[in-house]
Amino acid sequence: MSDASVGARRTMARVRAPQSFVAGIVLVLLGIFGIWAASDLPRGTLGSMGPGMLPHWVAICVAICGSVLVVTGLLRDGAGLQSFGLRGPLTVVLAILAFALTIRPFAFGSFATPGLGLVVAGPLAVVIGGYATPEARFRELLILALLLTAGCMLLFGDLLNLPIPIFPTALIEAASGRIPSRTLLRLGAGGLALMGLALLALQRRSTRRSRTDVAPHAMMT
Amino acid sequence: MTDLLANLGLGFAVALSLQNVTLCFLGCLVGTLIGVLPGVGPIATIAMLLPITFGLDPVGALIMLAGIYYGAQYGGSTTAILVNIPGEATSVVTTLDGHQMARQGRAGVALGIAAIGSFFAGTVATLLIAALGAPLTRLALIFGPAEYFALMVMGLAFAVVLAHGSVLKAVAMILVGILLAAVGTDLETGQERMTFGLAFLTDGIDFSVLAMGLFGVAEILRNLDQTETREIARARIGRLLPSLADLRQAAPATLRGTAIGAILGILPGNGAVLGPFAAYTVEKRLARDPSRFGRGAIEGVAGPESANNAGAQTAFIPLLTLGIPPNAVMALMVGAMTIHGIVPGPGVMTKNPNLFWGMIASMWIGNLMLLVINLPLVGIWVRLLKVPYRLMFPAILMFCAIGIYSINSLPTDVMLIAAFGVFGYGLIKFGFEPAPMLLGFVLGKLMEEYLRRALTLSRGDALVFLERPVSAVLFLVAFTILAAALLPSLRRGRDAVFTEA
Repeated sequence: MSDASVGARRTMARVRAPQSFVAGIVLVLLGIFGIWAASDLPRGTLGSMGPGMLPHWVAICVAICGSVLVVTGLLRDGAGLQSFGLRGPLTVVLAILAFALTIRPFAFGSFATPGLGLVVAGPLAVVIGGYATPEARFRELLILALLLTAGCMLLFGDLLNLPIPIFPTALIEAASGRIPSRTLLRLGAGGLALMGLALLALQRRSTRRSRTDVAPHAMMT
Repeated sequence: MTDLLANLGLGFAVALSLQNVTLCFLGCLVGTLIGVLPGVGPIATIAMLLPITFGLDPVGALIMLAGIYYGAQYGGSTTAILVNIPGEATSVVTTLDGHQMARQGRAGVALGIAAIGSFFAGTVATLLIAALGAPLTRLALIFGPAEYFALMVMGLAFAVVLAHGSVLKAVAMILVGILLAAVGTDLETGQERMTFGLAFLTDGIDFSVLAMGLFGVAEILRNLDQTETREIARARIGRLLPSLADLRQAAPATLRGTAIGAILGILPGNGAVLGPFAAYTVEKRLARDPSRFGRGAIEGVAGPESANNAGAQTAFIPLLTLGIPPNAVMALMVGAMTIHGIVPGPGVMTKNPNLFWGMIASMWIGNLMLLVINLPLVGIWVRLLKVPYRLMFPAILMFCAIGIYSINSLPTDVMLIAAFGVFGYGLIKFGFEPAPMLLGFVLGKLMEEYLRRALTLSRGDALVFLERPVSAVLFLVAFTILAAALLPSLRRGRDAVFTEA
């Protein structure tokens, strides 16, 4: 056993409530970060408070709360640290990012993503997000994604008229003047729904035929 | 009294128009539909569905939002009873006896009594709002900046006391919330604060983005950690209408729950959240045989459910009369109102009587609708609840993303919900509660504004808060309850309310 881990164990033995202890440290860091972030703002006087006054003092109070938590973590017994899942948060963040980057053109510096609209962003979010759990099955997620996106297109685009981009910008430009956007939307939604239903039908038939893949069916129960 | 009747008459005339009744109905229906999904509480539901009201006129939009709110509340109770998963904090207590009733084949009666109790509580709360609206608005007119600041401090003090767990952690959460609220352009000087030169932070953090991250995405992450143990009541739903004996048993609990919930709901500072817990504890204390509780006692459903609904509605009082949102849901309502150009506060009643009274009347209509639509639709909710979580959460995720994107058409908002989702997940893991933080965020900007004004008026003399009698009393109350929460004996009592439940 290395010296470092022995040392770590010794400090852990002194920390009686690891959860409060670590939470306190995070708060102290957050407070210091706040003080630093507000440091360039004029604080003014009580009679005429500047923009920096409130953030400065609130950040100090956060740091104080944090230090008290650290101290109680050393003195009083309390809850231990909880285990963190990594797969869930990472996948969900990835899914949300995929949606944000594809829904409409987004530029960072000189690089820009093409705007692909809900018709791509929606299924991407559902399929990628679905992998946050180890139970994910690709075909099931794809069916869900197609049907949900078709429904959302009709609900948000057609019925509610929300200004959410539905199709890729390139496609909209190509179709403009030739096909009314409403018709395009309904056609698109119908196409997605048909694809989803066809896959669903295929899957049902294949599960009926082969007994090797008899995973319990979610949608049927 | 005649005034009250005339006002309510005006309200019903507005709320009963075909368009508004339809919107109220749709709101209740969609709200229940989303609220039934496990892990999706009213806050996430409203943040998700906010954009669908954008195209409507202000009165219709607020009526629909209020409907969504009650629907989501009721949907949460349905989930609590049928699957033992509380949609949000306030329906935790309902799982205790409600789910036991469901396992005994009395799910229908539990749902029925919850609906009837909620309807009764809603009726009382509607009358209470109508009665208190005018006098409280007059009170608001004598409030200066110092009083407003003191009132908000008191609200935050309540939020600390009413939060679960450590007082210190709740205080820290409120402060972090206030700090987050300071991000963005300073309203008075126009100077950018803590934006790090990032363009999307110039306007500050949108409240719905924060709420969606903390209550929508973080909740998904938390649920993913737990291996699924959903036990949908296998037994029959049974009949929905409670028998006379059931009603007789539940009636006193409903009355007490309504009173407790209504009073706590008016308090600024998440009071409505405590209602169900307090009602459950009271019922258990008063019961002749407390051991029945936790084994399917009907009072254990009727009391908390009435308290829940009464509090959900009386929480509108501070918002509509003083312009102070007492909890996160009301803060979302503020957002919706500002989108339609209405400034919540004492002016609403005089400038937009149609909106004010129409919304109040629609609350009662909404409660009636929940009673009528939900009981027959229970079968559909049961089927929806059988969809496994591995398919449900990607759908919730997509709705969250679409909802947030539609509010401002900003991809950065969507990215921020991911960031706040991970942040919220961390908070849960470290034993912090996100609710006080959200309240701190809501009140942060308002507090700073009033603090500045009060101090400018007094030329920098901080004693002004103690010299003005109303603000001194409010500060005293805030100080007393905080001190009380820290006293060991009282603290044990407070913990008992939460753990017993």
